[in-house]
Amino acid sequence: MGLFLQLLANGIVLGTFYALSALGLTLVFGLMRVVNFAHGELYVVGGLIGWALTAVLGLNFFLALAIVVIVLGIAGYLIDRLLIAWVRGEGEEPTILLTIGLSIFIANTALLIVGTTPQTVLSPFLSKPLFLGPVVITQSRLVLVGLCVALIVGTYFLVQKTTLGRAMRATFQDPMAAQLAGIRTAHIYGFTFALGAALAGAAGMLLGSIYVVQVTIGGVISLKAFVIVILGGMGSFAGAIVGGLILGVVEALWGGYVATGYVDAIGFALVIVMLLVRPYGLFGKRVERA
Amino acid sequence: MRLERNVLLIALTVALLAPLAVHNDYVVHIGVNVLFSVILATSFNLIVGYVGEFPLGHTAFFGIGAYTAALLSVCFALPFQVTVITAAFVAALFGLAIGAVTLRLRGPFFVIVTLCFAEVLRLIANNWIDLTNGPMGVSGIAMPAWATSGSILQQKVAFYYAGLLLAALSIFISYRFVYSNVGRAAIAVRENRFVAQSLGIWPFYLGLVTFVLAAAIAGAAGGFYAHYFTYVGPEVFDFSFMITMIIMVLVGGKGTLVGPVVGAFIVVMLDVYLRDFKELRFSIFGLLVIAVVIFLPRGLMGFISRRHETYHREKPGDA
Repeated sequence: MGLFLQLLANGIVLGTFYALSALGLTLVFGLMRVVNFAHGELYVVGGLIGWALTAVLGLNFFLALAIVVIVLGIAGYLIDRLLIAWVRGEGEEPTILLTIGLSIFIANTALLIVGTTPQTVLSPFLSKPLFLGPVVITQSRLVLVGLCVALIVGTYFLVQKTTLGRAMRATFQDPMAAQLAGIRTAHIYGFTFALGAALAGAAGMLLGSIYVVQVTIGGVISLKAFVIVILGGMGSFAGAIVGGLILGVVEALWGGYVATGYVDAIGFALVIVMLLVRPYGLFGKRVERA
Repeated sequence: MRLERNVLLIALTVALLAPLAVHNDYVVHIGVNVLFSVILATSFNLIVGYVGEFPLGHTAFFGIGAYTAALLSVCFALPFQVTVITAAFVAALFGLAIGAVTLRLRGPFFVIVTLCFAEVLRLIANNWIDLTNGPMGVSGIAMPAWATSGSILQQKVAFYYAGLLLAALSIFISYRFVYSNVGRAAIAVRENRFVAQSLGIWPFYLGLVTFVLAAAIAGAAGGFYAHYFTYVGPEVFDFSFMITMIIMVLVGGKGTLVGPVVGAFIVVMLDVYLRDFKELRFSIFGLLVIAVVIFLPRGLMGFISRRHETYHREKPGDA
């Protein structure tokens, strides 16, 4: 029982991290219908900038986090306005290819600059263990889970309650009507992608303080994020969170009880089963258009 | 169709005669690389260009072919012809199984799930040490008898002709397939799925047939790779093979048979000439993909054939 609770706690912690890392992806897909294959690379860039600012330049962790969010936001805005805007309205395939090209470019350019060495973001939180009944958890993980939840809730309010968020949702529902209502949709698309990129970068930096940041993990991060998003339903906010938690818990239990070698394959197996049983995910809406 | 066939025949003639003019084993090695890339790109193009879906895990079939040939050669000492054909067959079986699952999905779902399959296979190749020897890979794959005699140049030339035979065969099969009723129906599905369905075409079945054919060709390419490099490791499932396949097909022009040939040639040449930049070339490849998607959405061959069509249309108008 103690082992189960411990694994469950580990899974929930991991799941919260997964949820944050998938949030940007599901937001961009839900609001823009863009499947961002460069998501994992943006995550890595966020982690690497965080590492450079805290470990190399010695900046404060939260200041560095703010800089990462701003830099990635600007980068995301520019990526949308300069690249994705070219193929907007031409269906899914060109944007998929475009973001694959972007991910190849970012990954290999980062490789040239930083190399393959794993780096760690310096954080002010201690790795001192805390004992909560039978469950042991390090302080830094607990703080990070709190930060993740805060970011997720903040994003939710941004999308649901602010003028910008309303404009985003309006643009997604009907771009023409949104334009007629005076919304500058080109900007809104830019801001949406910027939000997705900023969330990816923030996730990269936060998780980079517990795990390592490495140029080559971008692809794996993208894949995991896709797994989570498919489990929860593409474009669904709640889906990303539930999907993340499911994946985290299942991986932790599988790793604890069965075998560690194939932990990474679990997510893929889940996705394959899910797509056969419920192709639109737990929270997804069924859409088919001519 | 006529343009396509003539260009392909000219390319075949040039490829047949090329070794007579070349006496440098490095150049022949590049030639073998081009042919190997042509086979892979042709296979990838069948799905991208004719099913209209994007299998980001196409390396799965290449890797399965490579491992099949490697294991058959090392464990049972079977000859080249047998291993390559078995590799194609096993890859086709996997194509049937994976296609039956993935072709129910479309768009981003298809892309991601095919990628998941390739990733699972990579994990298996890494972890099932009894079968695949894990990260160490399978080494010491026998070179076929006809390629072990003579000088290095003669060996390479022998491989070159074997590759040419495979490439010509795969393009010929693709050509017959694309211009058969099944191929035309597949194009109808790609152009407008709903209209095609209303004409009594069953998209899933067509997709599956194409998928299995593409998987078999990729498997044969894998078998060829295994015997040429005499070593197969988990890196055959790497994304870098995927990147080159994507670029070859996109640059050349998807949905044409000449496109992948042109694309494979360009990419291998770029690879050779950008060798000095080593890592930078992948960054350049990334930019190339972005540029092609934005400025040349139908690739080089799409661009040329459109010019060709308008040229033919304009001429009667002038008279």
